[in-house]
Amino acid sequence: MTDFDAIVIGAGNAGLTAATALQRGGARTLLLERHNIPGGCATSFIRGEFEFEVALHQLSGMGTEKSPFIMRKIFTDLGIMDQLNVVEERELYRVVLPSIENKDHEIDVTLPANIKALKKTLIAHYPDESENIEAYLTLCEKLSLECFMMLPRAQKTGDQTVLESTCPLYIQYGLTPSKDVLNEFFTNKDLKAVIAAYWCYIGLPPKDIPFCDLAVMIYAYAAFKPCHVQGGSQAISSALLESFLAAGGKVLFNTGAEKILSEDNQVKAVQTEHGDIFSCEHVISNTSPLHTFNELLDIPTPQQASDDMKSRRLGTSAFVLYLGLDCTPEELGVTAASNFIIDDRDEEVAFETMQGIVDPTHTMLTCYNHDDPTFAPPGKSSISLLCLQYSQAWQDLPVEEYAQAKYDFADKLIDHAERVFPNIRKNIEEVEVATPLTMMRYLNTPGGAIYGFQQNTQDAAMFRERINAIQGLHMAGSWNGMGGFQPTYMIGESTARAVLKKLKNTQSEIKQQELSHA
Amino acid sequence: MPNSSSAKNNILHAVKGYQEALDHQQELIKTGTDFNEQKGQVANTIATLHPKRLQLVVSEVIEDTASTKTLRFKAEGIVLPPFQAGQYINLFVNIEGTETARPYAISSAPQQRGYYDLTIKRVADGYVSHYLLDDVKAGDRFQSTGPMGTFYHNPLFHGDDLVFLAGGSGIAPARSMIINMIENTLTHRKAAQKLHLVYASSYEVDVIYENELKQLEKEHDSLTITWLISRPTEKYTGRTGHVNAELLTELLGSDLEKLQRKMFYICGPTSFHDFCAQQLEQLKVKARRVRIECNGPPKHPETLTGWPQDLIASDKVSVTINKADGTQGQFEARVDEPLLNSMERNGYSAENACRSGECSLCRVKVVKGSVFNPQEARLRSTDEAYGWCHSCVAFPTSDIEIMV
Repeated sequence: MTDFDAIVIGAGNAGLTAATALQRGGARTLLLERHNIPGGCATSFIRGEFEFEVALHQLSGMGTEKSPFIMRKIFTDLGIMDQLNVVEERELYRVVLPSIENKDHEIDVTLPANIKALKKTLIAHYPDESENIEAYLTLCEKLSLECFMMLPRAQKTGDQTVLESTCPLYIQYGLTPSKDVLNEFFTNKDLKAVIAAYWCYIGLPPKDIPFCDLAVMIYAYAAFKPCHVQGGSQAISSALLESFLAAGGKVLFNTGAEKILSEDNQVKAVQTEHGDIFSCEHVISNTSPLHTFNELLDIPTPQQASDDMKSRRLGTSAFVLYLGLDCTPEELGVTAASNFIIDDRDEEVAFETMQGIVDPTHTMLTCYNHDDPTFAPPGKSSISLLCLQYSQAWQDLPVEEYAQAKYDFADKLIDHAERVFPNIRKNIEEVEVATPLTMMRYLNTPGGAIYGFQQNTQDAAMFRERINAIQGLHMAGSWNGMGGFQPTYMIGESTARAVLKKLKNTQSEIKQQELSHA
Repeated sequence: MPNSSSAKNNILHAVKGYQEALDHQQELIKTGTDFNEQKGQVANTIATLHPKRLQLVVSEVIEDTASTKTLRFKAEGIVLPPFQAGQYINLFVNIEGTETARPYAISSAPQQRGYYDLTIKRVADGYVSHYLLDDVKAGDRFQSTGPMGTFYHNPLFHGDDLVFLAGGSGIAPARSMIINMIENTLTHRKAAQKLHLVYASSYEVDVIYENELKQLEKEHDSLTITWLISRPTEKYTGRTGHVNAELLTELLGSDLEKLQRKMFYICGPTSFHDFCAQQLEQLKVKARRVRIECNGPPKHPETLTGWPQDLIASDKVSVTINKADGTQGQFEARVDEPLLNSMERNGYSAENACRSGECSLCRVKVVKGSVFNPQEARLRSTDEAYGWCHSCVAFPTSDIEIMV
């Protein structure tokens, strides 16, 4: 018998979810984590009186207590829903294009987290386009339903007529570049910029995002509400670990995986950085395929994995300031938790500036205690201020210049946000700066990628074959689907389900053999 | 790629843009790589900035005072990583078979990449300081963490008007910050920071870096030093007493707005920084203008609020360790000794660095029983509910079982 049925490498969202689902499903599971805390980027850290949320901005897919959506079901199945204090957010986001002189902002629109109110708000701001807004939001809603319900069914049947009759909008718009759809529906450039602001959560400009992704995002956030969990994403990670342990799972912290040992293209064991070897039938890797296949696997990268990676491009990282401010959100002028501050209506300009260490043009400011006071000490504010950014320029810097470059850029980020929230700098009580290299350090991802590979149209699962060159080796994480919290929890859960099914089949096979030999 | 032919996806050709995306994929394959050329790059990039361990050798032992020595450490094999003046490294030691570690601020300046100086003062009832001062000689080898900590000048909001309140060996990070400031002023040639050092020592003979600091003060207008002796000899003619509100008002003025613009750094024994922080509070200096370097676990946890009634410092409890290999170990520990220390004395360990409750590297999970977490323990809000504690400042208050 093997030491474990399954070994999960990495206690990020997908790893924790997979491990918990596996153990609760009866598989003897070992979870390896090179850090001393579960969560990966779903974690927090303390500075002074502040506990800073590292990565979660708006948790999607929860729904409300009255009308729960898929994440509540997943968390219930994982045994943690009753541990979580969910805080619903009132707004989707505020978009501001600040004025150059001291006039009113060129754009200043706050979208409420409610479909009807969202429509009303957009129409109030852009009355000339009221019909277009109606049509666009209806398309988003219908397209989302097709994506959730009809498309998977049609794919299962393999029947094109079923696809054509049940997914007409998907056929027409699903894979169309978002930019084209926005141009088709709207003429007002401000409106286009406002309604597409969630592109930041994917990391590519709308011209490179298939419309189904953008449409689902705005519809699902508005319909099922963005939310937070008290204690931040660390509360979710800690609850998952607790559920895993309570089910009898074994976890080793400060223990990175060093090698995945295989035999005849079948997973055999995992060797840890401390030299221990644990045998197993399945390995679920929550680390990148680059690290898994090119560094952990004990044989050369299989052709299938190599081919898949050749068609990929590294996704973006981020530069983040964690700010503890000695003033209330009201004193700061915060009216929504999530704020996009943009200099240009064209997202491609922002994407251009993400490539190097140049003045930021799109920043995002999240105020965690806007919707719930427990996220900061009384009278203070807990803020994250960030821009998306690739890591290469940081990797090219001489190490001696790193700290200064970090502060110089952080200063620019604060300048950028101060045009909307003028009193940030003078109220700083705590600040921590995270560059793309900080992401790389803590996430162990190439390029410090925060969402895995770039997610343009051809990266979607439907264009990909599951990499199964090594039997028993499964990939789960942002690198195998979309980045972000909901997608990674979901991929962890579905991977565990697939592994449990395989384990069951193996067990019944063994039983069959035993019977026939008896 | 074979995907396009998979039966499940065939029907998707009906979707507008499907073929274009497949074509795009083929294009990308032609110009892309499987990233094998990047093998090891993540690990190397991180190791140059934040190595987990440094291999160090003592190149020189410098006698500062009768109670203090500076140990100069050079790296073996690699260039020492950059650090920010004020940061520390955690030095691992093996004293007669006991593996432990202590964090020490780097007293040399960041411009000096050839070595790190650690300035170590004898702690009366100490353990590691005696070993470092009495037994260590040039050529001895050590391991340490990379530079860590958040006690440094942060240009984003600290400003250029700095006050450093140093007590005893708390001068070590001050020296690094002072030399760094002076070097930066010389290289950038801009009217930059000024720093007022208030340096308190118990005895005249304890004053560290006296000549060097006096020389620097003479040469650079940006540096002002106030020397303070709390237990002077009769012949001492300088200032005596403690760093109190009165003294600070005399030195820095009473204009609150001006005081608020300064950034105060406090480093010294726990009693020193507690006292200084109180004085600044009395002067209405906001917490956001005060940085305090942490300084080890509380010496007498039994005197702190929250300590269980009826529990006497000398009481002993049993600690059971669930080891990674599935076996268990057990030992007895006094309730007033930090868990990490008793673990180390009994041959167990947890990764650690600040040993003051802040860095969270030493977190362990209490599976059974209870521990006392003092204020120093900067736990995350959900930690206590699940039994996580920072073992460097956690005190077992009952028989406990922990997972490491």
